[in-house]
Amino acid sequence: MRAWKAVVLINLALIVGGGWGYAVWGLRTARLERELAVARAAALAGVEREWIVEGVVRAIFPELNVLVITHGDIRDYMPAMTMGFRVTSPKIQEAVSVGDAVRFTLRGVPPNVAVTAIQKIITR
Amino acid sequence: MYALGLIARWVHLTSSLFLVGASAMIVIAGPSDRSTARRWEHRILSSARGLAVVAFASGLVVLGVQTALFEGRAAAALEVGAIGRVLVETQTGRVWLVRFAFLVMLAAFLLLRLSVERRADWRAARGEVALLGAAALVPIAAAGHAAAVDPDTARAIAFDGLHVVVAGVWVGGLLPLALLLRTAATSEGADARPYAVLAARRFSRLALGAMVMLAVTGALLATIHVGSVAGFVGTSYGRLLLAKLVLLGIALLLAAVNRTVLLARLAGDGPTVGRPAMRRLSGFVVAEGLLALAILAVVAALSVTPPARHEAPVWPFGIRLSVAALEGATAEATRTLIGSQIAVLGLVAMIAGVILRTWRLPLVALALVALGAGAGLALPPLAIDAYPTTYLRPSVPYQAASIASGAALYRESCAACHGSEGAGDGLAGLALPRPPADLRAPHTAQHTAGDLFWWLTNGIPAAGMPGFGARFTEEQRWDLINFLRALSAGYAARGMEPSVELGRRWLVAPDFTFAVGPTPPRALKEYRGRVVLLVLYHLPGARPRMSQLAGREGTLAALGAEVIAVPTDAAPDAIRRLGAEPRVLFPIVTQGATAIVTAYGLFAGSPHAEFLIDRQGYIRAIAQSRGEAAELETLLAQIQELNQEKTPAEAPPEEHVH
Repeated sequence: MRAWKAVVLINLALIVGGGWGYAVWGLRTARLERELAVARAAALAGVEREWIVEGVVRAIFPELNVLVITHGDIRDYMPAMTMGFRVTSPKIQEAVSVGDAVRFTLRGVPPNVAVTAIQKIITR
Repeated sequence: MYALGLIARWVHLTSSLFLVGASAMIVIAGPSDRSTARRWEHRILSSARGLAVVAFASGLVVLGVQTALFEGRAAAALEVGAIGRVLVETQTGRVWLVRFAFLVMLAAFLLLRLSVERRADWRAARGEVALLGAAALVPIAAAGHAAAVDPDTARAIAFDGLHVVVAGVWVGGLLPLALLLRTAATSEGADARPYAVLAARRFSRLALGAMVMLAVTGALLATIHVGSVAGFVGTSYGRLLLAKLVLLGIALLLAAVNRTVLLARLAGDGPTVGRPAMRRLSGFVVAEGLLALAILAVVAALSVTPPARHEAPVWPFGIRLSVAALEGATAEATRTLIGSQIAVLGLVAMIAGVILRTWRLPLVALALVALGAGAGLALPPLAIDAYPTTYLRPSVPYQAASIASGAALYRESCAACHGSEGAGDGLAGLALPRPPADLRAPHTAQHTAGDLFWWLTNGIPAAGMPGFGARFTEEQRWDLINFLRALSAGYAARGMEPSVELGRRWLVAPDFTFAVGPTPPRALKEYRGRVVLLVLYHLPGARPRMSQLAGREGTLAALGAEVIAVPTDAAPDAIRRLGAEPRVLFPIVTQGATAIVTAYGLFAGSPHAEFLIDRQGYIRAIAQSRGEAAELETLLAQIQELNQEKTPAEAPPEEHVH
């Protein structure tokens, strides 16, 4: 074989091999990542979940059965923010007052969640 | 281990560059039918085979040393598993993997016995060697300092890749060229003489272009990795780079002699003409090559030295030059202006002297005189006292917590002389040889944070200021400097209007961290991009204003403004004290309030203060009151103005004092 043909062949093989390998690898990785995201979402959607969250009571709306709480991060659901939560029983609202640091249980199928239990944290 | 790694890097770099340069040298010299030229070509190619193996082996050693560094134990350098992990899991490792693959391909290609009798075959085969050599070399840029540059990583890697491949063409071509010239200068090698002359001329032209490229990419890389004069003279990276430049300067001098004097003498076709010149040129080229090897040794050291930008520079001189010295000094400014103009004239004369042939000597002499006189006139007024720590960067960011601890230290140790307000009117200061400095004076460019650090550490003996280096930790001294910055900024901020002045940003809002109850702490910096209204309030006086703000919270939120309220008494039960009505839902700081109140209290003395902080983190308006309800529409209008204001392209305020 002529040398220049051999060189062209080698370079073609390099380019095609590299490109093909990258494409296959890249596509495969992207597909797996998509599938993983879908699987994660499916695993979480429509399932009742429960979190224990810490926060501060900011306002109480007895007529609406709502507590407004400045809370920390709620895993896989909501970042830290000030937010109104429904309570399952009026007793929960009666147990706390504005300014209390609390640890509360949040339960439900997102976005339909409610505070099921609450307890004050004794701050130093 | 360190020495081994260094030597391995040097060997690896040298052999990798040689592979590129030697094959490029063969390509530019072109095919020849003279037996001496062919012998030379084969010698170079067979040494390239050996060098590919050397590059591979030394690369393995470098990788082993790297693995030991990553794993933190020397034994890991010999463990196949550990090296494998580095190869697969780190970017450096992946780059090495690619490079090793190309080296193997290069070695395999060099072993192929291809027939290269025809021109096209010869070009393809030799070009492929150069191509594979470059492919094995260039990715090294993605495993070095350039890969750690952030932002613009890709740009830095591109410059670095270009730099190494061009360096390869120059450095790697020198020794093959010298060998060719020496062989051709002997009587047996006379048949290759025209070929050698042609090769030398072509290489010389190529090397000139390579030098220009090296200078440009090198200068760009230096601005990326060093970035300042202090970095150049005050860090080990900078000094190594200076050493490299000196060596390069000598090599360039040799190259200039080779190109202008010796190359011209090679001309002439007779068998005896130009032979001594050829031998001498060969010797000079070898010398240039040896210098290049020394430069590569420095480069190997540079590759294991942290870039100057990440090091604290130690300023080696007693003065520094800065135009800041001319502030308010008209006579000196005029002198500098005149001097600089004379120097510019000198520069013009120098350029003219280099271009023109007839007047060269007088013009260059004139240029040197003018440059000297201009510098002598212009530079002395620019001198400012400097200290080893002048360009030291603060290790503690400009944050409320740091300012607050600095304030406590100030009350304890500085207020006696400098006065409780920093005016320099403390009672103990009266007896000193020089009155203590007024620390409220504007923060000037004539004093860097590093200067303050030096004075704090070592004192100012002539003025009677003691040094606190032994009493305060380094962190405490930076705390004090952050406090001093806030103090003088706060003094200037006394005149700040409660309404925004569009386009004027000067008062940096010190960053702070805060928490509301048991929620995770947040920082003011996280609010960049939104307007923040920071409210320092005190109950019961501020109850009307707080109710008013709470009532319009929806409007504030709709404008994208965040309210952060800080009780000046730093009460941990501040939320409860505000009560259930009206409903206040914006963050009330219950942790971190003390530091915020201390730091921001320097900017406003009133019982109730509202700071309007723009999207980039500058305080733009300060409203001081007693906390009574006031008109809110103006505030809302100003927030909207800040939202619509054009943000400058310049970076947001640095978190460190300058």
